[in-house]
Amino acid sequence: MFRKKSFFMLLLVSLLAVAMVGCGGGDNKEKAADKAKQKVFVFGQGSDPRGLDPAFVDDGESANPIVNIYDGLVRYKTGSTEIEPALATEWSSSEDGKEWTFKLRQGVKFHDGTPFNADAVVFSVNRQLPPNRTDAMPYASFTFGPVEKIEKVDDYTVKFILNEPYAPFLANLAMALAAPIVSPAAVEKYGDKFIENPVGTGPFKFVEWKKGQQIVLEANKEYWGGAPKLDKLVYKFIKENSVRASELRTGSIQAMNGVDPNDVKMLEEAGLNVIKNPGMNINYLAFFCNKKPFDNPKLRLAVAHAINRENLINFLYQGLAELPNSMLPNFMPGHDKSLQAPEYNPEKAKQLLAEAGYPNGLKVTLLTYSTVRPYNPVGGDKLAAAVQADLRKVGIEAEIKTYPWKEYKEIYTPEVVEAGDMMLYGWIGDNGDPDNFLSLLETKEIKSTLNAAKYSNKQVDELLMKGRTARTQEERNAAYSELQKIVQAEAPWVFISHSKDMAAVSKKVEGFDLHPVGVVYFRDVDIK
Amino acid sequence: MLRYIAKRIMLLVPVLFGVSLFVFLVLHLFTTDPAAMMLGQHATAEQVASLREELGFNKPLYVQFGVFISQIIQGDFGMSLMTRSPVTDELLARFPATVELAFAAMLIATLIGVTVGVISAVKQYSIFDYLSMVGALLGVSMPIFWLGLMLIILFSVTLGWLPVSGRIEVGMEPATITHFYLIDSLLSGNWEAFKSSVSHLALPAIALSSYSMAIIARMTRSTMLEVIRQDYIRTARSKGLVERVVVFKHALRNALIPVITVIGLQMGSLLGGAVLTETVFSWPGIGSFIVNAILAGDFPVVQGGVIMVATVFVVVNLIVDILYAYLDPRIKYS
Repeated sequence: MFRKKSFFMLLLVSLLAVAMVGCGGGDNKEKAADKAKQKVFVFGQGSDPRGLDPAFVDDGESANPIVNIYDGLVRYKTGSTEIEPALATEWSSSEDGKEWTFKLRQGVKFHDGTPFNADAVVFSVNRQLPPNRTDAMPYASFTFGPVEKIEKVDDYTVKFILNEPYAPFLANLAMALAAPIVSPAAVEKYGDKFIENPVGTGPFKFVEWKKGQQIVLEANKEYWGGAPKLDKLVYKFIKENSVRASELRTGSIQAMNGVDPNDVKMLEEAGLNVIKNPGMNINYLAFFCNKKPFDNPKLRLAVAHAINRENLINFLYQGLAELPNSMLPNFMPGHDKSLQAPEYNPEKAKQLLAEAGYPNGLKVTLLTYSTVRPYNPVGGDKLAAAVQADLRKVGIEAEIKTYPWKEYKEIYTPEVVEAGDMMLYGWIGDNGDPDNFLSLLETKEIKSTLNAAKYSNKQVDELLMKGRTARTQEERNAAYSELQKIVQAEAPWVFISHSKDMAAVSKKVEGFDLHPVGVVYFRDVDIK
Repeated sequence: MLRYIAKRIMLLVPVLFGVSLFVFLVLHLFTTDPAAMMLGQHATAEQVASLREELGFNKPLYVQFGVFISQIIQGDFGMSLMTRSPVTDELLARFPATVELAFAAMLIATLIGVTVGVISAVKQYSIFDYLSMVGALLGVSMPIFWLGLMLIILFSVTLGWLPVSGRIEVGMEPATITHFYLIDSLLSGNWEAFKSSVSHLALPAIALSSYSMAIIARMTRSTMLEVIRQDYIRTARSKGLVERVVVFKHALRNALIPVITVIGLQMGSLLGGAVLTETVFSWPGIGSFIVNAILAGDFPVVQGGVIMVATVFVVVNLIVDILYAYLDPRIKYS
């Protein structure tokens, strides 16, 4: 008897449920009305952030909410990686370039009501300097690497003392990682749990984080740059790209990142804006310049002329990448428009091959990785096969060796470079400063393995140093321009592509853009 | 009976030990190096080596396994490499969502599966029988991932009836009492939240139930067919009982016993096997969490998650076996 009863109960409950699902329509209208009163922006991203304490994270999912909760001393201009004031109103560096003094904005408050001042800046930086720095702070040694100490001059002035002149330091302070200023009172209050209870001075205040579901932020009405136009900002985590696209089409989210190239057409046809912006990255082929045969620049140029980069961009990357003329993406300071990378010209390649002493071609080994990378969305093996096919046309036989990503770092250390003659690799910019890309060719980075090409040129090293010590951007640009010309002639790399970053957004949204550093700043975003 | 239960519980120990050993070996022998993943592109080969040493990855495998086992015994699965918080907390925070989804799927699978199975058996070789068995074949063989995407395209994007993904409308979460949204929203009288959770639950529960529903329907049909041919059913009919009473009271009750075993087994796999469904529908349970952890090389989470799922699976099976004795008086455990 009992079983019969419970069976009917189950039936009843499920019928009820079905009935309620059916009458969901009218309900949605009410919700929509609610939403019109309150401007709620839901942004779809692939997963939870690692955390919301800028000192302890290094991923894009964390950077996105972090840039809207916190401010740094300086920030990037819209659409470029040039620097403008934020929590610091002005700054200057000493004659020797080792002391940087920042005047701080007055009257700014953290979301917990405590005042922003020099003590807060000193606290935020000091916890990431030795001896407080730990291995769990992935960006501390990059962002604050050259900082020896930080001093409070008065309540609204701080001074950084560097151990060497380092102009890119300013760009480091605009980064989403490590650099944002945190509330000392909140760090003290939450301790280890600050990573889930962030308190900054940014345009949005943290409300709650439901793991695996969403993070909710609300407008900071007292924001020093003026209250944001949205009332609420929600980061919703939707793992699958295509499901995220479906959410956008139904209007339950207003924007998303990580658009799948296959979905671009469908999204555009559904009346959404797909943003395709150049990303801060470079996809390249590095020659091992420290040994035969590629210690010969003529041979390197021969390979550069043999690779049909336009074809790679149009077909391999379906037009979702840009053709580089140098190492630097075009929105970066120091990018020189007048440069020209070696054009596709198989005849010239053959001629250079002959001049280099290989009239009958040669055999080389090309190293690659097996995975997809942000700068190479089709994966290392497909790119290697395309390069191999181009090289074959001019008589160069490239044998491909593929490695899993986790082993890749260890196969091109100076000691084990015998494995090959050239390799496919890439770089994702950190701080938007040209030095961050160009120093990949510095002699001292051979040992650290960042200089994959093992390229060493005294002039390049000197120009890099000149760029770091220069006190104006013009001086720096001049040095970098000269450097890039040397690199163009010497060809330690073939610049294959700058991969584009994509986001899709509803047409009702205004002021939304994907910044070159890969995040979206929501302070000026509005919903019509 | 008690001795049987005690014996079964003792048997859980070697099973879970085996699972732990297996998942440990798979993760340590075949997956991405978490040290290289954690350090990012600035890392030098030296830094990777030193972090590996710090995390204890260069100790012999048996030493690492020993440490791992001794931690598990204390209920400590270590810290997540991604979020730097205890794996146990992370898993427990997500478990209710998985349980809610699994129960909803089970409910749908059982109601529809048993009903279809009974009708098919009673009307054997009818159109309904053929159609439903073809449907069951599809249910068994259709990949859940694909079915999920199709349901989204049909019911969410094209018809606009149901939400695409997630567990509830942003900002409508009910007060936390049991961590099950359906129950919490009813307990707190939050009708809006209840409606929102039901509409969010519908598609993932249907997708997840498809396989189990098909299995249950086929099982019910075949046991019903067997029972219907028994002498006592003929007797029941010949003494003039209404067909409804014959089918439900005499046939179905006896046919359900093997079906309940299948339901129990399915329940275990639903609790653990919701990985794909959770991923498609961004359901914030442990399945999607484990997938993220695999992709991020966060092996403490993968280890903890797999062991937790395995534990749930064997415990559910144990409970089903014990229930069996109550349901079928012929079975005696000694």
